[in-house]
Amino acid sequence: MLSGLLLIPLLGAIALLVWPGAVSGERLRRTCLALLVLQVAWSLRVLWQFDPTISGLQLEEIAPWVGSLGLDYRLGIDGLSLPLVLINGALSLAAALVTSTSTPRPRLYYALLLLISGAVNGAFLAQNLLLFFLFYELELIPLWLLIAIWGGSNRAYAATKFLLFTAVSGVLILGAFFGLALATGTADFSLQPLLGQELGMGMQLLLMGALLVGFGIKIPLFPFHTWLPDAHTEASTPVSLLLAGVLLKLGTYGLLRFCLGLFPDAWQLMSPWLAGWAAVSVLFGSLAAIQQQDMKRMVAYSSVGHMGYVLLAAAAATPVSLLGALFQMVSHGLISALLFLLVGVVYATTGTRDLNVLRGLLNPERGLPITGSLMIAGVMASAGIPGMGGFISEFLVFRGSLVPFPVPTLLCMVGSGLTAVYFLLLVNRVFFGRLSPPADDLDTPLPAVPLARQIPALALTVAVLLLGVAPQALGTLATATTTAMGRAPQRLAALPVSAAPDRLLAGGMGQ
Amino acid sequence: MPIETPIDVPLQAYLVLAAVLFCTGVWGLINSRNAVRVLMSIELMLNAVNINLMAFSSYIDGLEIRGQVFAIFVITVAAAEAAVGLAILLSLYRNRETVDMERFNLLRW
Amino acid sequence: MNRFPLYRIGGPSRLRTRAAAATVRSTRRSFEADMDLFGVLPALTELPHLAAASLASVPLATAPAIGLGITAAQLNSGAIAPEAAILIALLVCLLVDLAGEEAAVRWVPPICYAGLGTALVLLARQWNAPLEPSFLGSFLADDLAVAFRAVVAASTLLSLMISWRYVERSGSPVGEYAAILLAATLGAMFLCGSTDLVSIFVSLETLSVSSYLLSGYMKRDARSGEAALKYLLVGSAAAAVFLYGASLLYGLTGGSTGLDAVGVALQTSATPVTALALVFVLATVAFKIAAVPFHQWTPDVYEGSPTPVVAFLSVGSKAAGFALALRLLVGCFDSFDTQWKLLFTVLAVLSMTLGNVVALAQTTMKRMLAYSSIGQAGFVMIGLVCGTEDGYAAMVLYMAAYLFMNLGAFACIILFSLRTGSDRISDYAGLYQKDPLITLGLSLCLLSLGGIPPMLGFFGKIYLFFAGWADHQYLLVVVGLITSVVSIYYYISVIKMMVVKEPQEASDVVKAYPPITWNLAGMGTLRTALVACVLVTAVGGVLSNPLFTWANGAVTGTPMLQQSIASSAAREATAIAAAPVPPTPAILG
Repeated sequence: MLSGLLLIPLLGAIALLVWPGAVSGERLRRTCLALLVLQVAWSLRVLWQFDPTISGLQLEEIAPWVGSLGLDYRLGIDGLSLPLVLINGALSLAAALVTSTSTPRPRLYYALLLLISGAVNGAFLAQNLLLFFLFYELELIPLWLLIAIWGGSNRAYAATKFLLFTAVSGVLILGAFFGLALATGTADFSLQPLLGQELGMGMQLLLMGALLVGFGIKIPLFPFHTWLPDAHTEASTPVSLLLAGVLLKLGTYGLLRFCLGLFPDAWQLMSPWLAGWAAVSVLFGSLAAIQQQDMKRMVAYSSVGHMGYVLLAAAAATPVSLLGALFQMVSHGLISALLFLLVGVVYATTGTRDLNVLRGLLNPERGLPITGSLMIAGVMASAGIPGMGGFISEFLVFRGSLVPFPVPTLLCMVGSGLTAVYFLLLVNRVFFGRLSPPADDLDTPLPAVPLARQIPALALTVAVLLLGVAPQALGTLATATTTAMGRAPQRLAALPVSAAPDRLLAGGMGQ
Repeated sequence: MPIETPIDVPLQAYLVLAAVLFCTGVWGLINSRNAVRVLMSIELMLNAVNINLMAFSSYIDGLEIRGQVFAIFVITVAAAEAAVGLAILLSLYRNRETVDMERFNLLRW
Repeated sequence: MNRFPLYRIGGPSRLRTRAAAATVRSTRRSFEADMDLFGVLPALTELPHLAAASLASVPLATAPAIGLGITAAQLNSGAIAPEAAILIALLVCLLVDLAGEEAAVRWVPPICYAGLGTALVLLARQWNAPLEPSFLGSFLADDLAVAFRAVVAASTLLSLMISWRYVERSGSPVGEYAAILLAATLGAMFLCGSTDLVSIFVSLETLSVSSYLLSGYMKRDARSGEAALKYLLVGSAAAAVFLYGASLLYGLTGGSTGLDAVGVALQTSATPVTALALVFVLATVAFKIAAVPFHQWTPDVYEGSPTPVVAFLSVGSKAAGFALALRLLVGCFDSFDTQWKLLFTVLAVLSMTLGNVVALAQTTMKRMLAYSSIGQAGFVMIGLVCGTEDGYAAMVLYMAAYLFMNLGAFACIILFSLRTGSDRISDYAGLYQKDPLITLGLSLCLLSLGGIPPMLGFFGKIYLFFAGWADHQYLLVVVGLITSVVSIYYYISVIKMMVVKEPQEASDVVKAYPPITWNLAGMGTLRTALVACVLVTAVGGVLSNPLFTWANGAVTGTPMLQQSIASSAAREATAIAAAPVPPTPAILG
């Protein structure tokens, strides 16, 4: 069942690569789209079979693989991974849709797209640490190629930077996994038995530190974020969309699943610092975004800020905040994908992303009215205007975290306010005012964006709206899991003497 | 089968001789610029080994004389090695018209 | 200076490379040089016989003393049946070579395949066979030996498959080339199973002398000759050092050369002379596996030698070196394991660091792969230092994985240099458009060498690191992890050249790429070997469980390793038992 989510894209990628003879780009594109639609359908089938009342893993698949390494093929899904798998399917499809039909080297391009999609699914579903690592690394080279081949002028630098940062993150994660599996003396990398292990605090802190930095690079959090703006700036629109929408979630997913899940005691000990780190990351991302002149860099820095909320919520680790973290991951996936998509449309039609050049694109006759409207919607969602997806997730995060960590949460709220500032700046400059296209003759209208290219953006906007209007759909899927995750550390903490988990509980009880 | 051992000379004397010879060989190996001299230095080292083997063989291993067998192998292999070495050197000399190690510098060391 | 291609050694281009030479005279001279080099061949072909003889004659010398008539059954000579198959193939190759070049081109390849194939089949039959020392303790066909011999034989098979076209282009006689390569194989295979100082020495020299000749095989290329000379001088010196150590060991044991006897003798003596012998012998082992700082010869030899020879040296010769290391260190110096493990920890750290860092700066593929192979040897040494069951199994596994990924990479660069005559990394720019097969194959093999999933190399490397971590070799594993990130960088930069560069950025060499044809003699086998290696590299990782079982079996089926594991476990147990005893105040006072 779950294997289908891996096999469809991965085998599809191989099939595209070895498809004999010269195949037209259009045909490859259609095959890729068909495979991605199939993948989405399959994930909907998984959704259909998924029982939201169970907090643990479902639909598990276990097969022995390499016994000597403690690596077995073990998949499972729960309320945390299911929404991310759905998002991955949808955004991969969107990325393939918005790819220009005349993209160079289509065979490699679509194969890599499928490869990434499959690898990300694998990472979300893997219930064995080494299996997770395998998929985590598997996505590395395809994404590197996607940036390095189809990127902008400075793509070689950005791609290599991405590669090295991610490789270092992989090494840290692998080291922590080794340490974990062997410190427990089992030499088995299956996740479930490891969850119940009790380690010494020193060891927990050490291993968790390695994991934190490893995933912190991927998320990215403040001092390790420098690869992200470069990668986004140079990557083409579909790749940016995937990167922001899906791949960053690997980091936060790892944070929740592994850091929080495997080291509950150390996590609780460190959580005030983590909350502080989250606040710093949020404020830094927001302030840096204000300074940007490039639309894409601005959205990229906003990602740094918004992913900080997830760390804050994870640090608080109350049921509400964890639900908020999941909401934030989903809504950020949708919103940032939407924003990158629209920035890509603007760049494609005007040839620039410079805030100092662009003016008045909302002009109904000669500008990009639909794109502009959607952009405003996306920006509102990102800034957390009620009724949109961003609001509900930020609300849940802050609601869950305010009691345990009032100061960092307030700082993060400030960051959220700053989001409004820089995005207003963006909208104000780019879409309002007098249209002055870079071309000499002012009368020529900008080329109209074909409706087909607007569909993914429209669909994403609708999804963002739906998430804001009807959050309970996602809530029912995830609540059981996040509640269990949120309680687990408290239970563990409550068992020894009396670590007074009142503060933590308060957040949960207040619901 | 009893073997008469030269009792007058202690085993250590042979070992010291071999050690000196070996060190001489190493010194020549490091300091020679002429490739033929380098080959000769290697022969010196091998001969030091042979002295060692023969001495041990007659002092310690009088019955099975493994050392002497070993020495014969060393001599044979050294001959083959020297033949190959000189052949390579000769072909190189015909290409480069020198046997100076310092001038074999097409490849970075 | 004109960086001429190695294979293009026809008169004119050859002459261009020499700065000041009277053209006619020099042509004649190099022709004479050919004659001279081949005058050596009789001496060379004696070596394999010598190797076999060494096995037989050590016991023969002892026979009168023991007072036994010795028959073939008592010698257990069936243990070297695979080597015998190769020896027969070697002799037939030489005979066929006498019948002229045409007959040689036609018949030598099938003869080699038959010999090596038979050897592999016979090796498979030896797997887990009841263990009995052969030739009165000179040779032991335990599972470890079988595994490493199989790696050596397979590497020769693949190296031969990728070299026919190359050898033919260079205008050298095919029969001789195959014979020398088979002789080297023979030496390497004997080395894997030798358990006596004499047989170790003779097989080591058989391997080495054949390797010198192979690396100097492009007689009219000055660089090849230079590489051969350097290899020969350093190798002979290393052999002499090894012999000196061996002669000391012979004396220390009181007159025996078997590794078991040496091991027993070493347990009771810890004199400075013993330490000296240990250092001498270890230096040779380190030389053979090209561990830093005994690696100096590698880049030069790799760059100067014909590429197929480098392919064999980097895999077959290195596998034999690791087998030797296991025999000597684990089987013989077990009582000194703290010392040699420390030493090899240092060597491994240096090898991983220097090999991978210097590889960053290389501009030619062969030199880059030379330094990368130094780094890879450092990774394998992690398994050696662990001394656990997993550690040894990881070594065997990684050598097997390395066989396929490295030979696959070499097949690709040989194919590229056959088509373009270039070896420079920058000349690979934009290759994807002209030659997708090389691009895909080389990319996959390099990714595998860099340890990217789901390639075979990923599993091998993870297993090594896992074994190292389980044995608390944190320093080694951390250095290994960091340097593998470094290695990813330089492997990736080659892939970047080939895949990422746009057609307009393609190198001149690629722009003038010849049309792809496979119908020339020897190209078919090259393609077969390339595709086979790449397939195993790419798919072998996902289906690697049998390989893991095999590697673990090689360790469990080897009494020598089991003893060492058991004794180190016992030592650990006593250490743990002794640890809780608090130090008495009397001692402190």
